[in-house]
Amino acid sequence: MLFYLLKRVGLAVVIVVVAVVLLYSMIHVVPGDPASVILGPRATPEMKQELHKLMGLDRPFVVQVVSFLGKVARGDLGMDFFSQRPVAEIVFKQLDETLVLVLASITWAMLLGIPLGCYSAVFRNTFSDKLVGVFSIGVIAVPSFVVALYSLLFFAVTLQWLPAIGAGESGQLLDQARHLILPAFAIGLGWVGYIARLVRASMLEVLNENHIRRARAFGLPETTIVFHYALKLAILPTVTLLGTGIGRLISSAVFAEIVFARPGIGKLIFDSVVSRNYPLVMGAVVVSTVLFVLSTTISDSINAMLDPRVRERL
Amino acid sequence: MSKPNMQFSKIRLSRRSFLKASAASAGWLMLPGLGMHPSWAQDTRVLRVRDYGDPQSLDPGIASNLYEEHVNAAVHNKLIAYKPGTKWEWQLEAAQSIEQLDPTHIKFVLKPGITFTNGFGEMTAEDVKFSYERIIDPELKSPIKGDWATLASVDVTDRYSGIIVLSKPFQPLWMTTLPYMGGNIVSKKAVEAAGGKFAAMPSCFSGPYVIKEREPKQRTVLARNPEWKGAPAAFDEIHIFPIDDEKTAEMGFEAGDLDYTRVSMSSYKNLKKKPPKNSVVEKYPSLYYVWLGMNMEHPKLSDERVRRAVQYAVDIPSILEAAYDGVADPATGYVPPGLVGHRPDTLVPFKADFAKAKALLAEAGYPDGIDLDLEVRNKAVYIAAGQVIQAVAAQAGIRMTLNLHDSGSFWSLGDESKGDRWKKLQLVLNRFSSAPDPHYAAQWFTKEQVGVWNWERFKNPEYNQLYEQALAEADKDKRDQMYRRMQELMEASGAYRFITHEAVPVIYTDRIIPALRPDGMPLLRYFTTA
Repeated sequence: MLFYLLKRVGLAVVIVVVAVVLLYSMIHVVPGDPASVILGPRATPEMKQELHKLMGLDRPFVVQVVSFLGKVARGDLGMDFFSQRPVAEIVFKQLDETLVLVLASITWAMLLGIPLGCYSAVFRNTFSDKLVGVFSIGVIAVPSFVVALYSLLFFAVTLQWLPAIGAGESGQLLDQARHLILPAFAIGLGWVGYIARLVRASMLEVLNENHIRRARAFGLPETTIVFHYALKLAILPTVTLLGTGIGRLISSAVFAEIVFARPGIGKLIFDSVVSRNYPLVMGAVVVSTVLFVLSTTISDSINAMLDPRVRERL
Repeated sequence: MSKPNMQFSKIRLSRRSFLKASAASAGWLMLPGLGMHPSWAQDTRVLRVRDYGDPQSLDPGIASNLYEEHVNAAVHNKLIAYKPGTKWEWQLEAAQSIEQLDPTHIKFVLKPGITFTNGFGEMTAEDVKFSYERIIDPELKSPIKGDWATLASVDVTDRYSGIIVLSKPFQPLWMTTLPYMGGNIVSKKAVEAAGGKFAAMPSCFSGPYVIKEREPKQRTVLARNPEWKGAPAAFDEIHIFPIDDEKTAEMGFEAGDLDYTRVSMSSYKNLKKKPPKNSVVEKYPSLYYVWLGMNMEHPKLSDERVRRAVQYAVDIPSILEAAYDGVADPATGYVPPGLVGHRPDTLVPFKADFAKAKALLAEAGYPDGIDLDLEVRNKAVYIAAGQVIQAVAAQAGIRMTLNLHDSGSFWSLGDESKGDRWKKLQLVLNRFSSAPDPHYAAQWFTKEQVGVWNWERFKNPEYNQLYEQALAEADKDKRDQMYRRMQELMEASGAYRFITHEAVPVIYTDRIIPALRPDGMPLLRYFTTA
């Protein structure tokens, strides 16, 4: 297991480096000048030149990439020269908001999706199973930004039960929780469907396995069989899905952050790309890439821990 | 249908219990008792407004965006400031009196007793001198240096008075420098203590509000300045939310999360017809100007007849109807109505004239029409405008290809320092912001701006000469004629088809009385409760 973990971490580091170099190149290939965007029409050529120098854009591209990677290795994501604050500080502040949103979304999606999946498997081919099936496919098919807009219109604008914008007063947990409900609902709804379908499929497979039949033969209560024995195995594909799904969750968060005017890393990347704020784009991209690779590594490791056959495949 | 693989009696989980549990969970989530009180039940002493951007720098010397000025104007003082209302006028703010002694000398006297917070003492003429002279200091690299381009010095006469000395007459000073971004007065002591400029947050304020909290990308909170001795601030706090998307802001307003916001032009008619409960919807003329520009140095557009053909092939009423929902009026130049230099009419009528356009094209050697590229920013309103231009111009034989750009790419299209892209530039749908003096808009079309912001590469000696003369001209009527002529020269070159100044629709709750500039922009320090 230790050897597997070492190999997996090594691979993760390579993936991060390659991804960062690729993204760095892509951002610089896109036409556009940060100086023109940031300084606006009042900028003189001298001011633009100064800004390029400050951002290190006057150096050869390869030097920029190598210097950036060196800084990242030392844990320095640079300075956002405009707000005069360290990029890491800005990114991690926004990351908190996104992580809370993503975590809240996936938590409620699991809380509803797993029981729904179990229920469908247990009562397979009944009317309720089909109803859950239609619901699951339905919510998977609806893009999260559509859910965001309609839930906003209904719960915030029409009923005025929930706030429409922002992330709530800092330090006031209840207020922050209220601001979290609609965005988390919008992002998590599709995942309820995914998880329900996935749990149903794997549960059906597990329920027909020998050890489950043996448990039934021993006369164990069906709830114990389903939740204690079958679910443990049936949940494995969901763990993998969640690991790889973090990227998708972050991209869904971008829409939610824009629609609900919430701070977050997705919106930070979007705004920074539009304004060609390279230090912020790269800082945010590095952090989200690391997050993605880390979550995949963790989910793979959990899989390997639960199923030794996985260790052989790397 | 196959039977379920278990009996209800054998498990505790039944359909009924499952549904009961689900319904209970959903109900619990929506229960008003969980603190989900209606969003409008807020303290009326907190004003919640939306701005379209998040302030990056709050040092008035290096801030250059309007949303930064909205904050700065509430927490700092200027000698004079814009007067809320429908006419562009200024009023005294930190100055007790101010007068133009001659074309290059302006005498001011400060109101005594204006103090800077955090123990930085009383505002003096030394602070005024420091605040204005630092903007022209090359060390600071201020983006608003141009506003004070003619400043020679500020001579301090005594503790409260001084004289602003200009190197040459500069009429826009009264409408675009002193009451705007360049007019904010900071504490010399505080800035020097901060090392020459404020970083993210200024260390002291002198206005009716102070910055209490900055949550980047989330909100800026202003609170009453306890040391303020002027007319009391109406609100305990002002929360400013940076929301780029107008539709999001509209929903935020309708949900009761905002008290004032600009809304989209496409929503104006509906909101006006059926405003949300307890709200007021108004429309203000904007200072922005939108135009179709043509690169005069591109081989396809170097012939004036081709450019004029494009002018005649663009139908302004269709653009205004389709892209601006009939809310905006056509523009006759870069100066909007109500300001010195506004033209009453254009050389080319607003309505397209396809026969004339075709004839001009044929005359220029394009009897079968011409293919051109049109560069457009990827925002819904500009895309719609671009599509209308494309569809209508096709009737005159001008086949346009629409190229969409995000802001980053768009704003470097005609910039010579960014490589050779400007050489390929043909048509561009452009939009600039402006200030309440024609000089502000006029400056981008001089010869010196070619390849910087003058993407049409319009070079006209008469324009440049008039531009310089108008800066110094004190006679309002003469200035008016000069700027009219300058815009006429631009249109006559064929490189410009002015489209609109857009409009600024706003919505606010009837619990407040907003203080707005004539262009609908908020002057937060003067907002009051109804």
